[in-house]
Amino acid sequence: MHTSDISKEDQEVLELLKDYPMAEATAGFYDQALARATHEGTRRQRNSWVMAGFGSAIAAGLVLWLVGGFFLTTPNLPEPDASIPGIAMTLEEPRTINMMFASETALEGATLTVTLPDGIELAGFPGQREITWETSLVEGKNYLPLELIALTPVGGEVLARLEHDNRDRTFRLRIEVS
Amino acid sequence: MSSEANNLAFERLVQPHFDRLYRLAFRLTGRKAEAEDLFQELLIKAYGKLDDLVAIDEPGSWLSRIMYNLFIDERRRFARQRLHTVEEGYLPGDGLEGFAGTEDPVRDHQRLEKLKQLDQALAQLSDEHRIIVLLHDTEGYKLEEIHKLIDIPLGTVKSRLHRARARLREILTTSGTFS
Repeated sequence: MHTSDISKEDQEVLELLKDYPMAEATAGFYDQALARATHEGTRRQRNSWVMAGFGSAIAAGLVLWLVGGFFLTTPNLPEPDASIPGIAMTLEEPRTINMMFASETALEGATLTVTLPDGIELAGFPGQREITWETSLVEGKNYLPLELIALTPVGGEVLARLEHDNRDRTFRLRIEVS
Repeated sequence: MSSEANNLAFERLVQPHFDRLYRLAFRLTGRKAEAEDLFQELLIKAYGKLDDLVAIDEPGSWLSRIMYNLFIDERRRFARQRLHTVEEGYLPGDGLEGFAGTEDPVRDHQRLEKLKQLDQALAQLSDEHRIIVLLHDTEGYKLEEIHKLIDIPLGTVKSRLHRARARLREILTTSGTFS
């Protein structure tokens, strides 16, 4: 690393950054990733089928689950988690919040709709009050990161509506702006 | 080549770069689960470009650029972002999944508190600033390497690094982390 262009004032920041931790990959992950890549790559070459996005690796894993027969019943949707706290935001300062969904089983092809109160926007979606997309939940805790910005000091409630197989659950997150 | 020969060639070319690529993935995404997904997708994509991979001189840099582009593409497709899991006990987005304690709990506590402040400060930076400061100051990338990785002028890399540090210093000073 070059240190000549680091000012004295940056030294404290630099020392802290050097100490910023790194989570090791899961044991055996490299071997699994390599095996999956060569298997998936060969399959894609055969089918001339291209998938995009790093979520596709998980999608492939879910397909294997289905074939393996571990996912034979229609799973229940997770219940809203009352422990999700409200958060405080500072006006015009982006903040990433995480909404948590605890699911007993994996859910494929769920629809998630996020509804925002007036004055709160989702990064990348200026002016949109409602954003919907399809997603998959894995067994256990699932976190949805949302980068929000408060444009007015009013605050309000962010709603996340999860729908699957004609059933739905709505999760709420209270936002206060100062 | 047969599939077995392809697989062997692929493994020999990519395996020496696994640790560095995983570290890059973690610094880009900030979360282990997302880092592993990104790493996985990189390998799948790279396998499809095996002919290119065999022919290039610096496979590590080439793989890093593909990973960075995958990350950027995925960010742009935020609306399709999948939900992701984190391990029990870790706070999502806090970036401190790898914190390792020592035999000095008091010092560990102080250190962890400072790192939490740093984590929150980093979360307030734009992706562009956060990535550059983490790659340079945490991972030890040279400015030239960052310039090639993210394909912006060297001068822009320098100015973003300067601004990112200044902003971090400002946030950490305001929060009382620094005297």
